[in-house]
Amino acid sequence: ILDDPDLKDIDPTVLKYCHAAAATCILEAGKQKADISAISTCLEDCKLDKERIEQFCTEYQKNKDALEILLGSIGRSPLHITDVSWRLEYQIKSNQLHKTYQPSYFVTLNVENGDSGSHPDVSFSCTMEQLQDLVGKLKDAAKSLERATQM
Amino acid sequence: SAVGELGRLAVELLRRGAAPRACEAAARKLNIGAEAVQHGVEGLTYLLTESSKLMISEIDFQDSIHVLGFSDELNKLLFQLYLDNRKEIRRILSELAPKLPSYHSLEWRLDVQLASRSLRQQIEPTVTIKLHLNQNEDQSARVLQTDPSTLLHLIRQLEQALGEMKTNHCRRIVRNMK
Repeated sequence: ILDDPDLKDIDPTVLKYCHAAAATCILEAGKQKADISAISTCLEDCKLDKERIEQFCTEYQKNKDALEILLGSIGRSPLHITDVSWRLEYQIKSNQLHKTYQPSYFVTLNVENGDSGSHPDVSFSCTMEQLQDLVGKLKDAAKSLERATQM
Repeated sequence: SAVGELGRLAVELLRRGAAPRACEAAARKLNIGAEAVQHGVEGLTYLLTESSKLMISEIDFQDSIHVLGFSDELNKLLFQLYLDNRKEIRRILSELAPKLPSYHSLEWRLDVQLASRSLRQQIEPTVTIKLHLNQNEDQSARVLQTDPSTLLHLIRQLEQALGEMKTNHCRRIVRNMK
């Protein structure tokens, strides 16, 4: 905003204060999920005139959802699984053991951290029975989710 | 009976590693030198390991030990020793293959995030997962998280993976490999 031609006549320090104040107000409103009437009341207490309050609220409404998504994504949480890839192999032999003849799966879970973006993926091998166990447990979790949403 | 004793020692060697005192005790019992016992046990161990590794058939086994010039009865005893212990020896050998971290088990938990420092009044369902993995005898546990739609996606993908072994392509390969 310091480069904005419309604002070049105003003292940059004042500009910075205004910007910071507006940003704080917006963030606080977003954090508390305040509705329009609460924001209006607050701005009235700050002695802003009706026209300015209306303009501010309209702009706020337009960006409210994006703001909430942004605020919701800030914070620590365990690594988030975004995708999975798998590989099916049929083992024939190794230098220690011949004629093994066993199917084996190699599963990679792609994970992401909210801030840093990329992170080493979690990979592991498993037998068919183990994969069945894994999928069974995930299905239990999904069923539990479904039941919870119906309550 | 000497063969029986040496055979037992050989299998114990494979299970648990060298046991010099057991060899000495056997040497005393059978009235032979301790070194001879040691060599005998090592030889038997090698015979058993190689045979088990290759899943050798009776004909091939007999052909291989024929050159040692033992009696027929002894050869039969040796073959029986091989057959009796083959499964266990193969199990032990399979643990020597190069290994990736492998699945052990999974625990899950359903959570609903209600608020955080930066945003109040949320309703965010999440699934928290504790994945237990094994690698070379170390167990590790990774705590991971996912959302409901990704969970359903994971289930779909992995069920597809499980279904692959039943396809014609895989069945044909399994049939032709044996």
